[in-house]
Amino acid sequence: MSALALAVMNAEAQDFKAPLEKTFLAFDTTQDMTVKVEQSNKLSLITKKWGNDWITHYYLSFSKAVLSYLEKDATKRDAYLDEAEKEHEEAVSILAKENDETFVLGAMIANARMAVDPMNRWQKYGQLFSQNLESAKDLNPNNPRMYYLQGISKFYTPKAYGGGKKSAQPYFEKADGLYAKETGGDITKPFWGKDKNTYFLSQCKIDDKDTDNH
Amino acid sequence: MLKFIRTHLMRTLCILAMLLIVSAANAQYKLSGTVIDNKDKPIKGASVYLDNTLDGATTDSLGVFTFTTTEKGNQSIVASEISHETAGLPIVIMGDISGIVLHLKKNAVHDLSAVVITAGSFEASNDKSKTVLKPLDIVTTAGANADVVKALEMLPGIQQTGPDNGLFVRGGDASELSILVDEMVVQNAFFSGPPGVATRSRFGAFNYQGVSFSSGGYSARYGQALSGVLELNTTDLPDKSTVNLGVNMAGLYASGTKKWKNSALDIGGSYNNLTPFYGLASTNFKFYNVPVGGSGNLRYVWKPNKNGILKITANTSYITSGISIPNPYAGIVDTGLNKLNPFAGLPDTVNFVTKDQYYYTNVSYKQLFKARYSLYTAASYSLDTTKNTFGPIPINEKDQRAQFRIEGKDFFTSRLNLLAGAEVQHYSISKSFDTLNENFAETQLAGYTELEWTPINRIAIKPGLRYEHSQLLNKDDIAPRISMAIKTGINSQVSLASGVFYQNPDNLYLLAGLRPNMQEAIHYIVNWQYTKNDRTLRIEAYYKKYQDLVRELHDTLFDPNSYRIITDSTKVNNNGYGYAQGIELFWRDKKSVKNLDYWVSYSFIDTRRLYANYISEATPTYIAAHNLNLVAKYFVDKWQTNFSATYSYASGRPYFNPNNPTFLGDRTPDFNNLALTVAYLHSFGKWFTVFYLSIDNITNQHNVFGYRYTYNSANVVDGRNPIVPALYRSIFFGVNMSLTQFKKDEL
Repeated sequence: MSALALAVMNAEAQDFKAPLEKTFLAFDTTQDMTVKVEQSNKLSLITKKWGNDWITHYYLSFSKAVLSYLEKDATKRDAYLDEAEKEHEEAVSILAKENDETFVLGAMIANARMAVDPMNRWQKYGQLFSQNLESAKDLNPNNPRMYYLQGISKFYTPKAYGGGKKSAQPYFEKADGLYAKETGGDITKPFWGKDKNTYFLSQCKIDDKDTDNH
Repeated sequence: MLKFIRTHLMRTLCILAMLLIVSAANAQYKLSGTVIDNKDKPIKGASVYLDNTLDGATTDSLGVFTFTTTEKGNQSIVASEISHETAGLPIVIMGDISGIVLHLKKNAVHDLSAVVITAGSFEASNDKSKTVLKPLDIVTTAGANADVVKALEMLPGIQQTGPDNGLFVRGGDASELSILVDEMVVQNAFFSGPPGVATRSRFGAFNYQGVSFSSGGYSARYGQALSGVLELNTTDLPDKSTVNLGVNMAGLYASGTKKWKNSALDIGGSYNNLTPFYGLASTNFKFYNVPVGGSGNLRYVWKPNKNGILKITANTSYITSGISIPNPYAGIVDTGLNKLNPFAGLPDTVNFVTKDQYYYTNVSYKQLFKARYSLYTAASYSLDTTKNTFGPIPINEKDQRAQFRIEGKDFFTSRLNLLAGAEVQHYSISKSFDTLNENFAETQLAGYTELEWTPINRIAIKPGLRYEHSQLLNKDDIAPRISMAIKTGINSQVSLASGVFYQNPDNLYLLAGLRPNMQEAIHYIVNWQYTKNDRTLRIEAYYKKYQDLVRELHDTLFDPNSYRIITDSTKVNNNGYGYAQGIELFWRDKKSVKNLDYWVSYSFIDTRRLYANYISEATPTYIAAHNLNLVAKYFVDKWQTNFSATYSYASGRPYFNPNNPTFLGDRTPDFNNLALTVAYLHSFGKWFTVFYLSIDNITNQHNVFGYRYTYNSANVVDGRNPIVPALYRSIFFGVNMSLTQFKKDEL
């Protein structure tokens, strides 16, 4: 009896990995907003069907956070983040305890919240961003996504406030080394961010005369 | 989910019958149709799917979807999109279906927080959309000199400060506003100084994460203020370890914050010396000893768990100064007024020495349980000792205050919560003028409850009740309060507030041993606010009625000196009364021009009172009927420089002219002030540096706040002296450097 149940569960687990991986990769590799929305919608369906696994909520949340960055309308951006937060909470409650990836995702959502209205939100969400990253680091100091997010945050901070390419570069470099160690084969172990990190790192290396010679 | 599908089922069954076009049996069926909004416009990017399956599609720019499924029989087709409410239809699949139409409604005006009661209150925190003024705003407001209290003068409803300390809100004088830090009353909010010379408040902008200011109709949590309350909330756990250093024309300061995982310790100190500042300013009084002093502070914040926070604050400051000021008692010798006055007979200009030692400590703990209950407890103690000499006469004062507050809140539902709390305050003041000693001690108890109810999304109601007991006056009062807000559109709302407010008689009377009764004010406030895209328009009108104000009955002529001496033989009663009514306008725009943030605030007030030693009902001397402030800030990215300018205007104030048969019938000339601040930001390596320069009263306007008449020996007016601020044009510059810890292990 129990063997049968286990077999069924196993079969289900097998079931969701393939569509999840396919959909996530389709989402992650496209630059087209329309396709991203489409794939994020698919992730919703996958999450509805296999909602007992934290990882489906995790990817759905991630996709909503990414859509928020790409969307222009502020109300919509916040609406995406409302959903991202909801799914993030769901993932955490299934896990019963946060892991480094959920903390990193929490940091990313906080950063996206701030990006909607930086002047009014930097104080609250900036703090939430770094708290989440700190917690992630306590659990796994070798998570490259942590440094990648920090790098992006530095990259877009004005130079007068201690940001800019020069200060962002070491973070992307650190992330780069750690990404190289990730095998990235298993969809249940998040591996996103590598290509973007490579892109930002190359941007940092382009000497910008306007901003760098002060 | 199920429930709403069921409701849709009922509604759409009949439509469905028409939609179903059944085709030949096939293992795979094609479903197609459109998703439209309630104005029949197509919705792009909507997810359309059969519930509990993976079969679905996303709509294109025409709202069209097509997908195939192997499901058959009774199914639900659902559409969802980020800006719309999810909706579904039941369908029976027996073949291909085309022409399915799904209607989605626009999201309802988002969230409950959309309706916020704003009557009488200005919020200035960092995490709320209703924010009007933030800590950074305070620092970058020209003319505010980074003083929280001074910056508030640029908001509607507050008079320009003349030669006196404090905020004069609507019809009330400075004593009618209560200043709170973490919900605890601050007894001596301003540095001690000589009479007629306004001093800074003890609050710097960056120690507070939120400033909320109420110009009336405030919550039942607070009492003992006829006008309003100014609430400052200290910062929570800091983000990172930092070191902060600065030097400016008023001195040097340094502070350091060490951050651990769930706690932080903050230590700071300063040395103040105003020699450079007064050296460059055009002063009206002679500082023979410029203000010199120092301060130290200690703060510890601990988060024992995710939903709890403990804060411990202790600080101390010392300041001393010596100044030659016009004797406010000059002329008394001639008129024979108030013969008891020990200051009578002093020359027109006297030397005033201040030595002020201040201690303040506050401990608070807040905990949220199960996201349903919250508990807040706080205790505070302050001690302020001043040793002054006025010419040859010593004036010493010792003020103490201890307070305890406990408050619980139950969030029954997201629409209803109930708050209940209690506080006890004990304070004492003892003062000596030469050989005359006066003192009193008061204990006040209060209990309060307040309900916050949002019956529907558009309406919020907050009724409250406060009970107050004064041991000194042996008096109990019940003060009801109510406020509410109604959303009148997506971006606009109307708020109303009303309440009864009590306050003890001025310390002046209590010190003299007099025990008149509690004074009372009733507020009625209506406010309309429109907020969209970083543009805010507010219009507020109010009516305030004062009763039981303390009145002195003198059988001599009116004495215009606000430092007049009251003794236990002065006759007083509670027969004073008055009113204040006005309209206020506030417009702020951060959107129209990139990097430009400006606001306009205008207030009109009509107020008259019969209180204190007034001989008939009149507009008080601190009231200007019209007040206007224009504030603009512009950041130039390329130069990393922020420019800020403030222009303030106030119409003339009443003053006492003994030759005018109408009491307080004269008006001073109008008040004008133009201020400019420039701040340049630069990072020297890891050091984030701000250089700032501000000039107050650029045009060196000789503003006058009133006149003091002098008499000859025949008791006839022989002249008058203008009452002027301590400074006209002043220049202030400095530099602030902060280092955020660069953790070596961060990489």
